[in-house]
Amino acid sequence: MSQGQPGQAPGHGHGPGSGFRPRRFVLGQFTDSDALLVATRKMRELGHKQLDTHTPYPVHGIEAALGLGRAKIPTIVLMGAIAGACIAYSMIYYMNVFDFPINVANRPQHSPPSMLPITFELAILLGGSSAFFGLFMLLKLPEPYHPVFEARSFARASIDGFFLSVEVPAGTDPADVAVDMRGFGSTEVQVIEESER
Amino acid sequence: MASTSPALAPATSNDPLEPALLIEGAQTDASLNDSLFGHVWALPGKGWWGLFGIALMGLTLLLVGLTYTLYKGIGAWGNNIPVGWAFGIINFVWWIGIGHAGTLISAILLLLQQKWRTSINRFAEAMTLFAVICALIFPLIHTGRPWFAAYWLLPYPSVNGIWPQFKSPLVWDVFAVSTYFTISLLFWFLGLIPDLASLRDSSKSPTKRMIYGIFAMGWRGSGRHWAEYKWSYLLLAGLSTPLVLSVHTIVSFYFAVSVLPGWHTTVFPPYFVAGAVFSGFAMVLTWMVPARHFLGLKHVVTMKHLENMNKVILATGLMVTYGYVMEHFIAWYSGNPYEFAMFFKVRQRGPFAPVYWLMIFCNVVVPQIFWSKKARTSLPIMWIAAILVNVGMWCERFNIIVTALHRDFLPSKWEIYAPTWVDWSIYLGTIGLFSTLFLLFLKFVPAVAATEVKELRHEIAHHAEGGEAHG
Amino acid sequence: MSSAPVPPVRPRVSLPLIEEARADTEVKSREVRRYWRSIAEKEGSPSLRAAAAREFPAGASELPEPNRRGFMQLLGSSAALTGMAACHQPQQQAVPFVRRPPEVTPGLSLHFATGYSLEGFSTGLLVESHEGRPTKVEGNPEHRDSLGASRAFEQALLLGLYDDDRAKQISYKGEPIAWRRFLAEVALLASKHAADGGARLRFLSDPTASPLLGELRTRLLAKFPNARFVSYSPVACDGSADGLAAAFGRAVEARHDLTRASVILSLDSDLLGDGPEQLRLARQFAAQRVPGPGMNRLYVVEPTLSVTGMSADHRIRMRAGDVAPFAQALAAELGGRGGFSQLASLGGAGPAASGVDARLVRAVAADLAKNRGRSLVVAGRRQPAAVHALAAALNAALDNVGVTVSYAAPLLLDARAGAAPIARLAQEIAANQVDTLVITARNPVYTAPADLKLDRLLSRVPTTIYHALYQDETSPACGFFIPAAHPFESWGDGRATDGTITITQPLIAPLWGGVTDIEVLAAFLGEGDRGAHRVLRDSWQAKLGSVPGATGGDYDQIWEKWLADGLIVGTETSPLGDLSLDFGAVGRELSAFNAAAPRGAGFELVFAPDYKVFDGRFANASWLQELPDPVTKVTWDNAALMSPATAKALGVEVERDGDKLSIVAIEYRDRRIQAPALIVPGHADECITLPLGYGREGSEQVGRGVGFNAGALRTSEAPWFDRGAQVSLATGMHLFGITQNHWSDEGRDPAMEVALTDFQNEHSPFHERIEERRGSLPTIHAPVDYSKQQYKWAMAIDLGKCTGCSACVVACQAENNIPVVGPEQVVKGREMQWLRIDRYYSGDIADPEVVIQPVACMHCETAPCEYVCPTNATVHSDEGLNEMVYNRCIGTRYCSNNCPYKVRRFNFLDYTSETPAVRRLGMNPEVTVRSRGIMEKCTYCVQRIEKKRIDTRIEGRAIQDGELLTACQQGCPSGAIVFGNLNDPQSRVTKLHADARRYDLLHELGTRPRTAYLARVRNPNPELAKS
Repeated sequence: MSQGQPGQAPGHGHGPGSGFRPRRFVLGQFTDSDALLVATRKMRELGHKQLDTHTPYPVHGIEAALGLGRAKIPTIVLMGAIAGACIAYSMIYYMNVFDFPINVANRPQHSPPSMLPITFELAILLGGSSAFFGLFMLLKLPEPYHPVFEARSFARASIDGFFLSVEVPAGTDPADVAVDMRGFGSTEVQVIEESER
Repeated sequence: MASTSPALAPATSNDPLEPALLIEGAQTDASLNDSLFGHVWALPGKGWWGLFGIALMGLTLLLVGLTYTLYKGIGAWGNNIPVGWAFGIINFVWWIGIGHAGTLISAILLLLQQKWRTSINRFAEAMTLFAVICALIFPLIHTGRPWFAAYWLLPYPSVNGIWPQFKSPLVWDVFAVSTYFTISLLFWFLGLIPDLASLRDSSKSPTKRMIYGIFAMGWRGSGRHWAEYKWSYLLLAGLSTPLVLSVHTIVSFYFAVSVLPGWHTTVFPPYFVAGAVFSGFAMVLTWMVPARHFLGLKHVVTMKHLENMNKVILATGLMVTYGYVMEHFIAWYSGNPYEFAMFFKVRQRGPFAPVYWLMIFCNVVVPQIFWSKKARTSLPIMWIAAILVNVGMWCERFNIIVTALHRDFLPSKWEIYAPTWVDWSIYLGTIGLFSTLFLLFLKFVPAVAATEVKELRHEIAHHAEGGEAHG
Repeated sequence: MSSAPVPPVRPRVSLPLIEEARADTEVKSREVRRYWRSIAEKEGSPSLRAAAAREFPAGASELPEPNRRGFMQLLGSSAALTGMAACHQPQQQAVPFVRRPPEVTPGLSLHFATGYSLEGFSTGLLVESHEGRPTKVEGNPEHRDSLGASRAFEQALLLGLYDDDRAKQISYKGEPIAWRRFLAEVALLASKHAADGGARLRFLSDPTASPLLGELRTRLLAKFPNARFVSYSPVACDGSADGLAAAFGRAVEARHDLTRASVILSLDSDLLGDGPEQLRLARQFAAQRVPGPGMNRLYVVEPTLSVTGMSADHRIRMRAGDVAPFAQALAAELGGRGGFSQLASLGGAGPAASGVDARLVRAVAADLAKNRGRSLVVAGRRQPAAVHALAAALNAALDNVGVTVSYAAPLLLDARAGAAPIARLAQEIAANQVDTLVITARNPVYTAPADLKLDRLLSRVPTTIYHALYQDETSPACGFFIPAAHPFESWGDGRATDGTITITQPLIAPLWGGVTDIEVLAAFLGEGDRGAHRVLRDSWQAKLGSVPGATGGDYDQIWEKWLADGLIVGTETSPLGDLSLDFGAVGRELSAFNAAAPRGAGFELVFAPDYKVFDGRFANASWLQELPDPVTKVTWDNAALMSPATAKALGVEVERDGDKLSIVAIEYRDRRIQAPALIVPGHADECITLPLGYGREGSEQVGRGVGFNAGALRTSEAPWFDRGAQVSLATGMHLFGITQNHWSDEGRDPAMEVALTDFQNEHSPFHERIEERRGSLPTIHAPVDYSKQQYKWAMAIDLGKCTGCSACVVACQAENNIPVVGPEQVVKGREMQWLRIDRYYSGDIADPEVVIQPVACMHCETAPCEYVCPTNATVHSDEGLNEMVYNRCIGTRYCSNNCPYKVRRFNFLDYTSETPAVRRLGMNPEVTVRSRGIMEKCTYCVQRIEKKRIDTRIEGRAIQDGELLTACQQGCPSGAIVFGNLNDPQSRVTKLHADARRYDLLHELGTRPRTAYLARVRNPNPELAKS
């Protein structure tokens, strides 16, 4: 993409008169997932960047078509789980062994078996939470507004519609992109412009 | 629109998964959308209001019971010395157990790629949440001083200048159950987001659109999102699986780590888990059978689903039976006179023998009818059986807790136990709470994961076409 | 300041102290100390005294300041409440609490010696007092009838003292009057009666041996020569008085001594659990229960299972009416042998005819003969004169007189206090021969035989004066009502069973202006306003010459010494030497009895004094009401006790795991009552035992309506037992609060016992069994090493010594502020006593052997309760105590579930906050009062440990063995409980833990309990054991 984009992207957060440059999208609808897959691959081969698809359910192979890398979530979850385990074990050790040891039923102060259940549970808790909240941070959700919502027909994207969206770089004519997309069998193509708010 | 009826027609063929039976009739994404959200958009009918009224009455019962308990103290219950635990812990274990089916269906069956889970997992997960909410009431209210119990179990520098005692299963359980509730909630909500989005997009009124929009969090089905989302969902499932096993294991530690005959038993963890799944599936059936009828979900919750669940009940029922057998065998084989007396005298011939025999009937005998396909596929039979199993599992907990406590080592301190009206009102009250939550759930959230069903339909369609295009 | 009649600003906390503080004789009051800070101090080491004067533990002084204030205010207001009544109090005793008297240190308790008189004989007590508030009762170690122990009755006196239900107002026919007014009335009466020498004046009192009351009586009789004094007690032992009188030709009292008794035969006598001698006899009996050559053997012949019966080596159950034939059969058997010819004539029909198991009689006779001069035959209070006479004859023939039994001149003012005297009084009243009746006896209307209909008769007496603690069944029938002062509020004196003079001193000013019986009687001598203290003190000053060792010296000092000791040393009366038993007279007595004795058919009714409320006088003591009966374990009830066979024959039904039984209707001499049945193994068949003292209808709120009144069936002809009752099943069931329904030990053998022969034989299975129950078990974790500690607390309980009398349970309840929960809660299984006494039957359930086992917290070293507690609320101390930290407890009850001994108690409801303010005065300030929702249990009296630790630290020494007693240990008459330091190799507890009989309860669980048990060794007669 052009160098201008990143510089401008934050711009649209500013209030009126801050030189707001609306992002522009070309949104094409397809009859079914297969058509969408083909179109996506071809568009990418044509060199279009900033592609994204919108489907009611995950379409098999879409990652490849969009040329996405490995998912990041697994790493986050792993770290969360490890952190949970460490916190739990050290907490128990500090509280019952180091800070305030008491003779409880003649049991050893440091008894790993009795510490395992909580260690395990906390690992799950932090792992699971990071899977959930990590995802939202990764996807920048919640994101109440996105330009694609401007399209009337986009409502079907969550019901039975299959869409391909291309963010048009500055200095490119959306019409050209639209042409390409039609060429790949999109039933309906529209150009969307981010509205200022 | 896209792939239509012809796609499904041949699907009834020799596919071992019999996918056609998982979604009946010619369906499109749109038709599924309408049919699965129908009950959300439709105004509540007389039936719903009737049930809701009854549920609210149950809820009131719960509030009365809790208030009276807080006002009078645990003395309002039937507990005594030696029976320090009774209804409180029985109900806790019972509800937690019921919760397990939800997580199991949605997590384990997902990992095992059991396609038939899709139509019932949402339903089951919701059930898990509500069951755990009901369960969570008891550990708190059963203590003598709940106003302290509420936070003294948490590891914080308290006024007592002392930390929790981490060797106690009660502390383990605080962590286990709270983790269980949190993860189940997150898992459920994550799976719900795409449906919320389609609810947002298919809703007619702007207010509903707004509300569902808020919960949908701006989900737009982006391919990039789906890529991470699938992992997140899968990993939560992966984490929930050991979690669900650990939670009931830890609950069973309540008893297993003690010294009491009838409690001090190593077979408890596995057979508690099996029992949990057993009762959980029974509870799912208890609600699913009527729900699929009233909510018009017969085409997605098919007889195959019900039959599979009955198979699971049969299987777990057999595991539970094995647990019973082992308990008794070890009691005899160990030569421990206290154990022997507990299992062969007190439980079978003691004052609470009826409960024991009812348990045996409900948990051991009843499930056996599911060996016959006729029974597995007959709605009335499976429904009654499911209810009996729930009764049986409650009896099992009564048997483990009260019967073991009321006659332990020294005959001099053997006492009889009798529950009070407060015990009963709190127990029935939680059933009221559960029903209330469930009916609200059925009213505002799709009872079936529409997105996943569509995905399933899509896959089936492709199978039908021999869609090895994407291998 | 004493002489000036200042109005009672505030009564002084404790009367004896006032006499002290008088005239600033601090010097004197220090050298003449009659208050102890501890029993050890009473024994009096000088260093101790110095220490006490020198220094007090930190914080001791500020702590109880508000207590005392609040207490003073309460006393002030209660004094105001009682209004005029207060002004009878001797003026010099009312001095304001301006300066703290030297002997009172806030926070430190004092012990005062006093006495309590039951059945006429006084038991010496030491009462602990905090800032003038009596808080705990102990026995007086120097008193022969206490030896430091106390009965449940004495323990419960504390509740009686602080009982809000007590009568508080002098009244005439319900109208409040002033004491002065009463004195005036009495003066009038006196002058009226003086005319005919008091021919129409009668005094009805409890039996008493009080020298002062005796003196007042003689003075009254001098003034009213024709007046008559009548003693009445519903449980009087007239049979003994008559029988011995017949046997010896003169009135004598029997005194028993078990120290040298090898074989004891009890003829329906509950010598270990009943009667004024019980504490001493229990101690002497227990001392001989250690296995070995000197071990004694106890035969008990009785209709219903008693405390003594539970301790018996051979228990022979038979109806009370069959005891006489048995005794005669025994006499015949003995008479048949050489050397006992004088008994032959007493044999009567002999075994065959009287239907007694001849083999049994032969064995007992042989055993007695073998131990000639070392045996004892005791007849019980229920038995008629003939049996007592025969028992005396047997003892005489067996040369036991002077060894195990001796006879002395009667100490009681009236030898007879049973049905006969009161029946005669009733006749006089019926014949309108009585104008004025002064009743100081306790509640005669309730206790008197029903056939006398005393309640109706009393209304025919023109003037009745009733002096009592409560507005009870008797007071409505009387004109004048005088609220009595509680024993702890009264001056007085009494005699021990051996005649030792016991001084009773008050520990607190009368809370509600009660009056002593001394003052009531003195009123007729015109001395009603002198005050009991003066009357008593002066009377002894006058008698000073007659008291051995009291001649010369300052009377003040002598008096102080007496009060300090609680008794006058050397005043016991010696047995009569010149007695000869007239066997002929005994024979005549017997034949007369045999002629009269009804051999009627029908059920036999047997009446028994109750172990908890005695004759009903303790009905308002909730500790006793809730105390499980030593035998039946019933609380808050009495019942128609019957044998399993009888119950079966009657069709008695049992429900709810033994809690719920049928109600039976009992008809006797056309009187009819309904009573719930209760099955007692070992009870005689066709025989119903009815405990007395229940079904009260007085103003006592606690005892009111509890149980049924067995007295309704009592007649003056047959006050103790009689045949001819019809018993049938009535409608309905009764729910009992029974703390132990289960009879059998399920073969788990928690309370081990063994026959002497097996114990002495190394190869008997017993030794194998007991070896399995002690020593160390394999364990994963290395046991904590306590040997470095100075103290390692532990307890040992000797099942061979324990009689199950349950005094320890009440002592524990008093010491530890244990709440009373009421019958409904007990039915639910929520009784709170930290210490329970288990009772198991074994063998033939119709005639079982009984074994008893006190169980409290074992203080396990690997306590199962601890590791399950989520909040560290129960943890281990350095010295190995299993500590319960109330303020950390959230009440999960997990610890109780996991306690294999089930000794933890839970506050299911708020049992404490509604305790009446006045009752709170008696609470032990050193023990936390527990709130709702928390767990509690035996602490090994940790507050006593800490107090002793402080005291000894002040003196810079270690705690000696035996100077630290737990409450249960201190109360125990038989010395079955021993507490001490295992790190002291010389301590008794260490030795007992190494005893051959030592074992651990549920040892196989590896809990390593600190409380060890010593197996009970029975000493059965080999001849009888053979079968």
